Amino acid sequence: MLVLGIETSTPASSVTIGSEQGIIGSCMVTRGVSHGSFILPAVEFLMKEADLSYRNLSAVAVGLGPGLYTGLRVGVATAKTLAQALSVPIIGVSSLDLLAFDVRYSDKLICPVIDAKRKEVFFGFYRQVPGGIARESSYVVGSPERLLAEMEGSKDDFLLVGNGALLYRERLDGAHKVEFGSMANAFPRAASLVELALPRLYREDYDRLFDLEPLYMRRSDAEINWEKKAK
Amino acid sequence: MAREVSPPSVDVPKVDIPGIADVTPEMIIQTETEIEELVKFDEQTLILGIETSCDETGVAILRGGDQVLANIISSSADLHSKYGGVVPEDASRAHVQAMNPAIAEALRKADVTLWDMSAIAVTVGPGLVGSLIVGVAAAKALASVLEVPLLGINHLEAHIYANFLEHPDFAPPCIGLIVSGGHTLLVHMPAHGLYEVLGETLDDAAGEAFDKIARYLGIGYPGGPAIDQMALGGSKRAIKFPRAMMKKGYDFSFSGLKTSVRDYIRKQEEAGNEINLADVCASFQEAVVEVQVHKTIKAAQEYNVTNVFVSGGVAANSRLRELMGAFCEENDLRLFYPSPVYCTDNAAMVACCGHYRFQRGIRADPNIEPDPNLHLA
Ligand SMILES: [Zn+2]
Repeated sequence: MLVLGIETSTPASSVTIGSEQGIIGSCMVTRGVSHGSFILPAVEFLMKEADLSYRNLSAVAVGLGPGLYTGLRVGVATAKTLAQALSVPIIGVSSLDLLAFDVRYSDKLICPVIDAKRKEVFFGFYRQVPGGIARESSYVVGSPERLLAEMEGSKDDFLLVGNGALLYRERLDGAHKVEFGSMANAFPRAASLVELALPRLYREDYDRLFDLEPLYMRRSDAEINWEKKAK
Repeated sequence: MAREVSPPSVDVPKVDIPGIADVTPEMIIQTETEIEELVKFDEQTLILGIETSCDETGVAILRGGDQVLANIISSSADLHSKYGGVVPEDASRAHVQAMNPAIAEALRKADVTLWDMSAIAVTVGPGLVGSLIVGVAAAKALASVLEVPLLGINHLEAHIYANFLEHPDFAPPCIGLIVSGGHTLLVHMPAHGLYEVLGETLDDAAGEAFDKIARYLGIGYPGGPAIDQMALGGSKRAIKFPRAMMKKGYDFSFSGLKTSVRDYIRKQEEAGNEINLADVCASFQEAVVEVQVHKTIKAAQEYNVTNVFVSGGVAANSRLRELMGAFCEENDLRLFYPSPVYCTDNAAMVACCGHYRFQRGIRADPNIEPDPNLHLA
């Protein structure tokens, strides 16, 4: 079953077409062209190169963030509309899950960290389990210091991965036994998205198209200011 | 319905349309008969329009340029009412959630499938960038799957084209106002696709001034309908508010007027007088409307056109329609304005503008990007 994956929750735009037989093709850029200008031409390019058409797709998978809102919205709106036009299921996956999945061959506590701008990061904690990863915390948005404090309060060794980990490397390095993931794993990739979506497609564990929304993690400024004023 | 995807049968030159300023005269159909022939030819053209420039998620399906088969508008205005203005982040989140149900509802209402569409038209600007990107992303996805042209539409141009939806005798050359919460423009349209902006607001948009005064007076949001309603019970001559820039060119300004309304209220409160809100609303509204009508009529005379239009959310204002109607009649001008549902932001007007552009053989670059500051000319 052919799945199209779209992941745009970081400065990277990534699209992949793949099936249970393997990844057929991927395109990824991390700067320059906007997410909105990249996704569809990349999809069309992959289809042309692999001699496929939209009609061959069985599902659309999309990275839900947390991440940067503009890219995230473009990716989610594009994926939802593609799924709607093609009448195929949609499957949303957290972008932190994707980062953790990429470095799952470690018995350390895995912590994907995505740069959230405004001097904050999105993160969560995962552990390797047979065949994949299991999340051991909720998703968090907070300062690098908060992440550091959480690590210092634990006896575990940590593997930090993602653009947020690399950006705040010096500040996060204070904790005991922290290892950092490589540049190649700095951004969530649509290939992992396709791989994680396939078992869900088999289980018919789809998301409801109209309900699916990005993981924003932050309320809008107006809402926050309003509550401050109301207090 | 045939579920086959095929490129448009008419082979037309592909032209990049970042803005309508690039339309060359050759692209414009000049004669009435030419237009009529094309309209006949395009009777079956189905355009799906998408509008997300502000807080309205609009999806419409238009057949033949004037049959609105569906016009779905999902507004997040309720979310913004407690803040007294549109919150861009909230509007953007609402678009992501409202877009696909709106597409489904439009198709159901129109009783067509996506595969029947001839082209997809989408607002690319001006507007809130976080809102525009959602509509553009959805439109690109549709155009890519369906393999049909993607038409990038200027929101202001779409407001003018709202008049073509209901008035078969509306045609350029014409002059008119685009007045809404986001815009106040006096525009001269000599031919399809050609625009000259004669005047703009130097500060607030007309609808914005209504919103701010309504909030100041504590009578609700959105301010336009609230003031319009309140003014019905008041006297428009009760308070003498200034007519800003009445004599100077075609530009507009509302800051002086807003200040004098506030000064008036403050003075009355200091003096311990009871304030008649209906009188304040009626007099404020009259000051706004009089300047707009005066400048529009003056421009129509100077440019020697007989067709006058009023578009945009504020075009639903009853006093503006009344006064503009009276002055047009007095000066032998024909006044056109859309029904209220096509005055506020909607996708039918976007589809309509797309229809005329499609007719003229203009196609957007499939990689068109939203432009929050897109100009009309
Ligand atoms: Zn508008």
